[in-house]
Amino acid sequence: MKLLINHREYQVEDGDLSRPLVWVLRDELGLTGTKYGCGMGICGSCTIHLDGQAVRSCVLPLSFVEGKEITTIEGLAEKYSPDPSLLHPVQQSFIDHQVPQCGWCMPGQMMTAAAFLEKNPQPTEEEIASAMGNNYCRCGTYVRIKAAVSDASKQISKEESNG
Amino acid sequence: MAEKERKKLSRRGFLILLGTGTASLVLGVSVGLPFARQKIAEFVDGSDGAFGAVEGKPTAWFEITPENQIIVYLPKVEMGQGVHTALAQIAIEELEASWDQVEVRQAGTGQGLDDSVGTSGSSTVSSLYQPLREAGALMRVMLIKEASKILTTPVENLKAEKGWVHSTIDDKALSYGEIVRNVEQWEIPDEVPPMKSPTDFKFIGKSIPRVDLVDKVTGAAIYGYDKRLPDMVYGAVARPPAIGAKLIKASEGTAKAAPGVVSLVLKEGFAGVVAETRVQAREALKLLDLEWEVVDSFSQEDIENLVSVGKGKGVVIQKEGSPTEQLNTSQVLTSEFRIPMAFHAHLEPQAAVADVRADKVEVWVSTQAPVRIQEFVAEAIDRDKGEVRVVPSYLGGGFGRKVEEKVAVEAAILSDSIGKPVHVGWTREEDFQYGYLRPPTHHVLRGVVNSNGKIEALEHQQSSGQVSFPFLPKIAKTVLGADFGSWRGAMIQYGVPNKQTITYLADLPIPTGWWRGLGLFANIFAIESFIDELAFSIGMDPLEFRLLNMPETKLGERMRNALIRAKAVSDWTRPAPEGVGRGVALALDAGTVVVEIAEVRIDNNRVKVDKVFAVVDPGMVISPDGAKAQVEGALTMGLSSVLYEEAIAENGLPSPSNFDRYPLLSMRDTPDIHVELIQGDDKPHGLGEPPIGPIGAAVANALFYLTGERLRTLPFGSF
Repeated sequence: MKLLINHREYQVEDGDLSRPLVWVLRDELGLTGTKYGCGMGICGSCTIHLDGQAVRSCVLPLSFVEGKEITTIEGLAEKYSPDPSLLHPVQQSFIDHQVPQCGWCMPGQMMTAAAFLEKNPQPTEEEIASAMGNNYCRCGTYVRIKAAVSDASKQISKEESNG
Repeated sequence: MAEKERKKLSRRGFLILLGTGTASLVLGVSVGLPFARQKIAEFVDGSDGAFGAVEGKPTAWFEITPENQIIVYLPKVEMGQGVHTALAQIAIEELEASWDQVEVRQAGTGQGLDDSVGTSGSSTVSSLYQPLREAGALMRVMLIKEASKILTTPVENLKAEKGWVHSTIDDKALSYGEIVRNVEQWEIPDEVPPMKSPTDFKFIGKSIPRVDLVDKVTGAAIYGYDKRLPDMVYGAVARPPAIGAKLIKASEGTAKAAPGVVSLVLKEGFAGVVAETRVQAREALKLLDLEWEVVDSFSQEDIENLVSVGKGKGVVIQKEGSPTEQLNTSQVLTSEFRIPMAFHAHLEPQAAVADVRADKVEVWVSTQAPVRIQEFVAEAIDRDKGEVRVVPSYLGGGFGRKVEEKVAVEAAILSDSIGKPVHVGWTREEDFQYGYLRPPTHHVLRGVVNSNGKIEALEHQQSSGQVSFPFLPKIAKTVLGADFGSWRGAMIQYGVPNKQTITYLADLPIPTGWWRGLGLFANIFAIESFIDELAFSIGMDPLEFRLLNMPETKLGERMRNALIRAKAVSDWTRPAPEGVGRGVALALDAGTVVVEIAEVRIDNNRVKVDKVFAVVDPGMVISPDGAKAQVEGALTMGLSSVLYEEAIAENGLPSPSNFDRYPLLSMRDTPDIHVELIQGDDKPHGLGEPPIGPIGAAVANALFYLTGERLRTLPFGSF
């Protein structure tokens, strides 16, 4: 089966088509930026974009993703800008706010935030908390995630208004 | 690059010249042994430094390369505390390097790392602060001395700055790399030169961006669960239906024919599968034919009965005055508290890859305790400890849980049986049910307070499941008497003339052990809730009551200052807004003082914490922003436990098994957090754990003032 991930084509064995995408990405394709945390779609560590929507790859069967466009954390910056020296504004904001501690949940946090800001570029704090409220961070960085997502939204709006 | 033959150095001191094999200067710092016993060893391995026959066991070391790069090898693991950045800041302060010269690398056991303490106890920065500074200062002196010879300029006229040695009388200058390239023989000075005054610090005390974050936001950071090796396959291991049940019989069943299966490993008490992919290994595992011993089950009630003050032998760990007599009065106030078991819930479950070969054994693993892994892996596959090289990766959270060796041992057993590298990564369910938990605790507090607001007598009795004992040699039980992990934070820090702390230890059927702060979270919840009860009993403001009962010591003064500062930043004397309760709690832990003030309301029968003020005195601060992040994180994790977390025993296993029935705090219910750092000491103290202590009592005390109800059992998110 062919998969389209981060604008590249990958070949995977058909095998058991019910196997979750997270393990195909991590163990078969070596894209370990997408993290496993619970396998039940609860913690959010495995969040990726499927045709631009934030989804949980630990409960996403392989059969479901054929022909769809997959973006993982490894391809987030490139999706935003072809300039390889640039990060996605969400990634940059997570650095500016020194958000990650252990960092394991962070790819999922940033993928969730990036998809959310795509839909709602100027969210209120409450909207951010609601959109990010299903991604766990055990190190407890929520106050910084909130500030970073808020700042990223301002950055994105500014870039958009500048054309 | 041409290799030069360097002459052996011999100098007494805590510095170890590891060598100059690739024309670099490599200097190690050995910590924890008396000065005179330090050995000087020569680094004889000129290859990649990976399997070097390093003698002298440095705990950390520096390498200055001819390219003027400074590589700092650190023994402590990065699990989110920011220690790789903080230790590098300390390391280069006296060395007078520039930040962009510095690269931090994780040391593994094969590189001489022998840090048997592991990364725990909020001790990383405090234990390495002085040795790293001294090492940096010595290297600076060595570099200047050699530059003096090369430039023929007197040492007095040379100054080290930003990785260069400059002449102050002309414009001659050499980079550290150029010096290193030209020196044949190094001399380590006899004495440590005078250290800088903190007012001259360029790195210590500055919020320098973390060195690990670019990799962590791009997905490039490699954790134990991410490590991949050529030709690597995946393993999965069978688990018993109940804790303690042994594998009686095991046969292949239909597993062998399952897709992707490489090998089945069935041996005494162990059943595992190796397959091409992780999913295949886990599927095939279900097809093995296994029979498990039926063991006596135990219930949650059994656990709670075992954890009871008065059950077993009480050990008095603190006693002043005559508390028993003084508490024998009708004025005595008594309260009981219970804290449940909890999971660590680090989001990266246990993971390791082992590559067991005839001539070497390598293990990459998310671990807080590489030396422990080395010992257990060696024993499990019957190899010499020295053959086993353990490389710690980044950790996706640790919180005490990644002291465990099991996953690495499993990977090693499987790799040993097939001669290929094997990765084992646990499921969330395996992680919750087959490791160890924060122990449950029970507390009984008794106190007498006089009408002036002075505590006359105070007693804290606590019972807890084990924390440190399962990880220590059996003899430790006899020597120590009481489990220091369970009683961390249990002693009464107030200035009370008659006080005592008695600890009881329960040996539970569910394994319990290290959890962020160890006993701190439970003990401070109980003590600081009770202090509020005492204050209320005589109608005193709880913050003033604490101030009144501070001991007349330096620590007492630091606690007093933190309380006064917290009173100001929280605007404590202003009445709380309608529908909001405000509570305060205090902890002293790992040399750090923490005061937390919570503002709480009830929203749809749920406890909602709006705001937390944290005033923290950790002594010298290496990175203010990093320190604040630790405070925010620890108290947020603590709040999650206060409001939601409870694990129980069910059918002989810890339960629940996943987040569907074990919710964590999310951004939706995270309070605004205002951290203020104050410096009440000139040394750095711990930060990763202390702020987890006061949060429970701060919230419970706030709820009491809001509702009149005293909550003595955790969790209490639903009201």
